[in-house]
Amino acid sequence: MAAFQPLVASRAHLSPLLPAPAAAAVAATSFHRRRFSAIVAAAAAPTVTEFDFKAYMGERAVAVNQALDAAIPAGEPPAALHDAMRYALLAGGKRVRPALCLAACGVAGGREAWAMPPAAALEMVHTMSLVHDDLPCMDDDDLRRGKPTCHVVYGEPIAVLAGDALLSLAFKHMADVSSYPADVDADRHAARVVRAVGELARCIGSEGLVAGQVVDLEMTGSTEAVPLERLEYIHLHKTAALLEASVVIGAIIGGGSDDQIERLRKYARSIGLLFQVVDDILDVTKSSEELGKTAGKDLASDKTTYPKLLGLEKSREFAEKLLSDAKEQLADFDKEKAAPLLYLANYIAYRQN
Amino acid sequence: MALSSLFATFPLPVPKMPDTSKSSRFLPIRASAAAAAAATASPSFDLRRYWTSLISEVEGELDAAMPIRPPESIHNAMRHAVFPGAGKEGSAKRAPPVLCVAACELLGAPRAAALPTAAALEMLHAASLVHDDLPCFDAAPTRRGRPSTHAAYGTDMAVLAGDALFPLAYTHVIAHTPSPDPVPHAVLLRVLAELARTVGSTGMAAGQFLDLAGATALGEAEVMQVLTKKFGEMAECSAACGAMLGGAGPDEEAALRRYGRTIGVLYELVDDIRSASGNGKMRSNASVLRALGMDRALGIVEELKAQAKTEAERFGDKYGDRVLPLYSFVDYAVERGFELQDAAARP
Repeated sequence: MAAFQPLVASRAHLSPLLPAPAAAAVAATSFHRRRFSAIVAAAAAPTVTEFDFKAYMGERAVAVNQALDAAIPAGEPPAALHDAMRYALLAGGKRVRPALCLAACGVAGGREAWAMPPAAALEMVHTMSLVHDDLPCMDDDDLRRGKPTCHVVYGEPIAVLAGDALLSLAFKHMADVSSYPADVDADRHAARVVRAVGELARCIGSEGLVAGQVVDLEMTGSTEAVPLERLEYIHLHKTAALLEASVVIGAIIGGGSDDQIERLRKYARSIGLLFQVVDDILDVTKSSEELGKTAGKDLASDKTTYPKLLGLEKSREFAEKLLSDAKEQLADFDKEKAAPLLYLANYIAYRQN
Repeated sequence: MALSSLFATFPLPVPKMPDTSKSSRFLPIRASAAAAAAATASPSFDLRRYWTSLISEVEGELDAAMPIRPPESIHNAMRHAVFPGAGKEGSAKRAPPVLCVAACELLGAPRAAALPTAAALEMLHAASLVHDDLPCFDAAPTRRGRPSTHAAYGTDMAVLAGDALFPLAYTHVIAHTPSPDPVPHAVLLRVLAELARTVGSTGMAAGQFLDLAGATALGEAEVMQVLTKKFGEMAECSAACGAMLGGAGPDEEAALRRYGRTIGVLYELVDDIRSASGNGKMRSNASVLRALGMDRALGIVEELKAQAKTEAERFGDKYGDRVLPLYSFVDYAVERGFELQDAAARP
């Protein structure tokens, strides 16, 4: 699996993305910055082990990859269908959604291991949406994470089926009691899982992920200028919905209160939108090699993006605002436990691919 | 790829009974008089009325579950996939929901416990049909007497409509099943896992894959595996979910699973025989009959019918007349004594 980018261990990394925020933006964000540097400082205090985000993500990715590997019934026929599922699912990737789910479970007071089945399920759903998204009838992409896409290797029909099967496996794996460790809260666990499954289904259905893809499809090919609200609708559904599900499901499984769950939901919506704003910025500033996917595709297809609507600088300011909004939601949580979510938000803001 | 190796672990052994069946013995398929005789055998139960009333309840449930919301295009496409067109040709029998409700009611549980899952079964079924009809699969231009979803809404929208119907099924079960009372959360989770497993890589998706790989051209074992995966598993899931929601014990659930799986294959095989002999609608599954041969196909129908009745008989002593729907389904699957089409009114 590819090494993680050096993320936000030092503030020096912030400067390339956010060169010179406008005066107003500085005023608006300095308060949160101060508060959060305090959190980071606390985490780094002598009494507490310094939070090593790179190691955290590396360990989670290994554990998630193991869970994904074990979840696919590889020994069972039909072998070619399971091969296609494994090809798409185990192709590497940063495992951001599982990491968010695990971290949210910890913040809400649970053990991270409780949230591993849903964390794996979220990656399955994410992979399925990529497999279907890459199909010739959709985005028609040949390259994903630097490798040929699923339908290029296995053919279209198997790619459709592999996506459907990954979606089903996600729900099966998540709903199956035997997927979970034995030390879950026996009295409350089943009700929590039911609620979490409902959250996943809602976030990826016709009012979530699919809604974003539909409006995106309808926008592509239209010559009309796309207003900002429409662009935001697409991103909130196409990207933020699954990140929201990741965080909220982790919080539910971890036994968080309704108030905690809603604050984490707001956090997730902000970083979800942030994720896409940063994606738009990277598409115009990075090469295909750096991204592991076709760069400049948005420009080539005349797709509406934040840089196109707002300009690059305003897009960066917007990203900064979303980052501080997200961090604000973490303020009242236990600082040590919230560190992974804090660093994840920074990572999403300052990633380079 | 060695196709034969794919079948190694698939169950549903078809018992090797002496193949004595001949077409002439298989009169019921063509003789409606036999159906009338079967009806009088159980005067206390009218399958046609039971089925018809359930279809309208399930359609009402589906209608309420799928309002047209923004973005309208996807919700229109999803409704197109789930609801039949007008007229006889376009109606849907809704067999999986009927089996689910019947299994639940057999155990004495309220119909309301099973109805949301019954509707979910139709959503999952429709989702797999939408993807099965795509140009890269069967390339079916029509379904139930009108344009298939991709023909009406475009291939991209059809892929997404299927993708959205799967989660809608789970949402609907969770939001509308009376839980935790009378259906405990743990049971609801078993139902959700069962639904997801059935449409997954070892269930219906496996059937579609094997069909795609040309397994039906090979031989009896391969043909039976495709029928089992594509049709038996859905029926097994329907009966098993009904059993769980009705509070079945392990033995009862296992028996209803076997019953469901058997009747699902039986139903489809009879459909293929009817279309091959010009008695039913035209289908593309003629390869099933080519591989089995008509005589052997008719023999298998008799074996499956006997198996299904044996499973149903287990419940006779304990549940009395409530087992009658199960018996009636077996006879109906073979004899098709009445038409449901005109009963399936659109909501």
